[in-house]
Amino acid sequence: MIKLTRRGTIGLGLGALFAIASASTALAADTIKIGYPANLTGIQASLDGPMLNGAKLAASEINAAGGVLGKQIELVTYDSKSDSTTISTVASQLIDSDKVVGIVGFADSDSVLAIGPQVQTAQIPFITPGATSPKLPSQLGNEIFLAAFGDNVQAAVGAEFALNKLNGKTAYLLTDIGTEYTTLLSDYFVTAYEHGGGKILERDTYKIGDKTFTAQIAKLKALSPQPDFIYASSNAEEIGLILKQLRQAGINLPVVGGDGYDTPLLLQVGGDAAKDTYFTTHAYIGEGASPKVQAFIDAYTKSVGNAPENAFAALGYDSIKLMADAIKRAGAPDPAKIRDALAATSGLDGVTGTITYRPGVSVPDKSVSVIGVKDGKLMLASEAAPSFVAEP
Amino acid sequence: MTQLDYMLQQIVNAVSLGSLYALVAVGLSIVFGVLKLTNFAHGDVMMVGAFGVALLVGIGVPFPVAVICGIAAAAVAGFLIERIAYRPIRDAPDVARLLTSLAVTYIIENVGILVFTSSPRNFPLPAFLNTSWELSNGAITFTSINLLTIALTFVSLLLLGWFITRTTTGLGMRAAAEDMSAAQLVGLDVNRLIIVAFIVASAYAGLAGILWAAQAGVVQPQMGFTPLLKAFVAAIIGGFGSIAGALVGGYILGALEIFIVAFLPSSISSYRDAIVFAVLIAFLLVRPGGLLQPNREIKL
Amino acid sequence: MSREARIKLCVLFALVAGAVVAFGAPHVLSDYFVRIILLIALNAILVLSLSLSNGFTGVFSLGHVGFIGAGAYISGILSIPVQQKLALLPHLPAFLHAFSLPFLPATLVAGVLTALLAVVVGYPLMRLSGYFVSVATMGFLIIVNVVLINASDFTRGARTFTGVPLETTLPWVFGWLAITLFVLARLVYSPFGRAMKSVRDDTIAASAVGIGVLRTRLIAFVIGAFFAGVGGSLYAHYLGSFSPNTFYFSLTMSLITMLVLGGMGSLSGALVGVVCVSLLSEVLRSVERGFTIGEFSVPALFGASQIVLGFIFILIMIFRPKGIMGEREFTFGLTQRSAVVNQTEERKR
Repeated sequence: MIKLTRRGTIGLGLGALFAIASASTALAADTIKIGYPANLTGIQASLDGPMLNGAKLAASEINAAGGVLGKQIELVTYDSKSDSTTISTVASQLIDSDKVVGIVGFADSDSVLAIGPQVQTAQIPFITPGATSPKLPSQLGNEIFLAAFGDNVQAAVGAEFALNKLNGKTAYLLTDIGTEYTTLLSDYFVTAYEHGGGKILERDTYKIGDKTFTAQIAKLKALSPQPDFIYASSNAEEIGLILKQLRQAGINLPVVGGDGYDTPLLLQVGGDAAKDTYFTTHAYIGEGASPKVQAFIDAYTKSVGNAPENAFAALGYDSIKLMADAIKRAGAPDPAKIRDALAATSGLDGVTGTITYRPGVSVPDKSVSVIGVKDGKLMLASEAAPSFVAEP
Repeated sequence: MTQLDYMLQQIVNAVSLGSLYALVAVGLSIVFGVLKLTNFAHGDVMMVGAFGVALLVGIGVPFPVAVICGIAAAAVAGFLIERIAYRPIRDAPDVARLLTSLAVTYIIENVGILVFTSSPRNFPLPAFLNTSWELSNGAITFTSINLLTIALTFVSLLLLGWFITRTTTGLGMRAAAEDMSAAQLVGLDVNRLIIVAFIVASAYAGLAGILWAAQAGVVQPQMGFTPLLKAFVAAIIGGFGSIAGALVGGYILGALEIFIVAFLPSSISSYRDAIVFAVLIAFLLVRPGGLLQPNREIKL
Repeated sequence: MSREARIKLCVLFALVAGAVVAFGAPHVLSDYFVRIILLIALNAILVLSLSLSNGFTGVFSLGHVGFIGAGAYISGILSIPVQQKLALLPHLPAFLHAFSLPFLPATLVAGVLTALLAVVVGYPLMRLSGYFVSVATMGFLIIVNVVLINASDFTRGARTFTGVPLETTLPWVFGWLAITLFVLARLVYSPFGRAMKSVRDDTIAASAVGIGVLRTRLIAFVIGAFFAGVGGSLYAHYLGSFSPNTFYFSLTMSLITMLVLGGMGSLSGALVGVVCVSLLSEVLRSVERGFTIGEFSVPALFGASQIVLGFIFILIMIFRPKGIMGEREFTFGLTQRSAVVNQTEERKR
């Protein structure tokens, strides 16, 4: 009888698992592989999850229509766990083992910065569907493309909307200091708003995960004179609650913010309190949306089982279409050619707007939708490109 | 808005937040008192209670019934955790048990993410709990859920007080907390007492989780971690293992958090969590038994 | 050949083998496997530095990652090229703008400053025992996180700290691992090491025989923090960009898992733990994507790897509470200097 020692057991177990792991990767022969690292667990999961669903939907639509260059496309997905170390391991796995021709992924700048150096060294084109920091391409290099507008653009649109449409000459600024997106958005907003002649009366902060904002709100309430509106740079989890606590404290000022608001939670949690709230985002995904958007909503609902959770689902969808379009125009699944084709993208009509890259600029010029809440429903308040945009 | 109104408003805020912390801390303290176990999984039991309510209301169960079921689900979860994970290592060193409870947290959270995804979901609150009240011409406001939290904290803690001082099981729990082996010697069924302690603590966690979610408006698999950390601080400030201590600690912590934001400029108040934990460390060093147990010796 | 000579020969052999792997692997293996090896070695440094206080001295710190984070940020600030520093961190004090340090000095400075921080933190905290020290050090971790987020002139706040040159290569990590192992092995199996273990096993008896409990704990804590700072610097130069949340609870959990699974009272245990957990989680990460074997197909279950690791952890706690190695060391029959043997020998005397 074979007796297993302690070391033997460990070795055998690891060996078996490795065998399974390597067996799982050895399939699918003649496809075009697109890497899709996603933070499916950890703090980024609520954005990356819907985004992956959107991306998968786009891939299956493309494949149903015959694929690109006569081949099917395959999304190679790993969970990168919202962790920089895992992201860099996953990147080398995608680049070295899976030999992907392009990579699409992530909703936050942290993760893009973590993967950036490797895709840059390997010269693999990379599209981030959701990260909105306009500094990314200049920080990392020419392989990095954004599918969304930059935060400087949406902050400027928000500032101009507040100044011109809401007639807001003075503002109260509330910032979540726990994430890069919200801190950056606040900075850009202040630049654009003060450039437009507005004045910030008071600033306050909180940290992602906080559930009571009553102390900040009482402080705002004691402010004299009161500001014309509130700019709250906030993420989806908190904004509904902030609105609720504001209105319950009797503060009925308009609230303006960015695309972090854009989830069903805004209305579900905010309820009546969400009245007089405006936010800048990628596309209007609601009642009476354009037929293209409606078609996406229907297809998503059919494949996933629920309506798109947020605009990131649409951005994931658009990014795969963007990558596939570039592969088609490149004429061959060759990373260098794909990058050049990607940079030359012009007038690609997506769910979240039209994507065009100006020469040498990897952040698309997209129009920004301002969405307002009226009678418990979302409505398009304005759609604009800003006149002044802060430097990235 | 006068200075006095502002002060009163912040006190209202502090009491309401403190009640919530107290409720979580009490559950932690019950388990610690009996088992000397720092139960990190307490936060996840809160999550179970809140998710239970959200799911049941989602399929049409009336809110009050859902709340009772949610609390029951939390109690069952606590029972299972004790039975499966904690009982086999009851005699292991402190640190091993602390780590096991961390691992349990890790498992429950990730199972939650696997089943429900980590996207936040709406916590359905009936309209009658969503109303707000004002005093002094609207200068001071609070909501029904604030009032309910404060009221429920008091009622449930009175009940707990009655339970541990007037019932045989409760007295047994206190005996076991005092000296486990002596309790065993005089014929108490220690296993049963520990199970009861876990069920009671977990029911409290369930209630606290539901109230927490009601205030937060959303539920998420990871929602238990922040309240757990806060309750931890509250329990230690008050005196870990003591129920009155947890209550006092909860209110002190609530007041501390609110007043830091209310009366300090935002450049300092953004250090709130650091200040809170610095206070915690100071307590551990100077008065390790907490406010209510000055004589406990845990230093070198 | 005498035993001493054999030991020397074996150490030399290990060093040569390490050097061959460190310099040779990048030419033979794909980048992915090189990264796995590098991460294992890097985590080994971190876990070894953690084992000094948590394993050998019985001070179960949950704040070790706070030192790793401090080391990463300190060496990051020092080593970003001057040009980029002006752009990325415009509000730094002028003297920090004036220069940037190469990798090695930046790492050493990070280690030393982190050790100084450990003196300041440890002096009060090392008076605590049991889980109270765990809670207090966890408080330290949270304070470090809050300070990193708020001291935005130095750290860019919650925004990603980026621009750190990518200089952590296999030879660097293996070199530092060798130094860490050497220092720790000398320390743990010395009279001072016995003092550490006696403090862990029986504080009262230790102080009764004249061992300064506070002093012993503090020294272990500070030396551990030095290597944590060094490891943090290596980490920073491996990732290139990171944020305060890189150095928070999830890293704490994974380091502690490695240490406890391997065995807290043994240096080889720390290494075994790192290798097992790293390989296991790598494999699980690939398996959880779902796979097909013949007719049988398993769907993707993202997050399953964490659950499996959690269960393995609990099972080890129940059935092998001292970890895989317990307090034994791999000695390959070369030396009697393993902890257990040591104790029996001492008892005989």
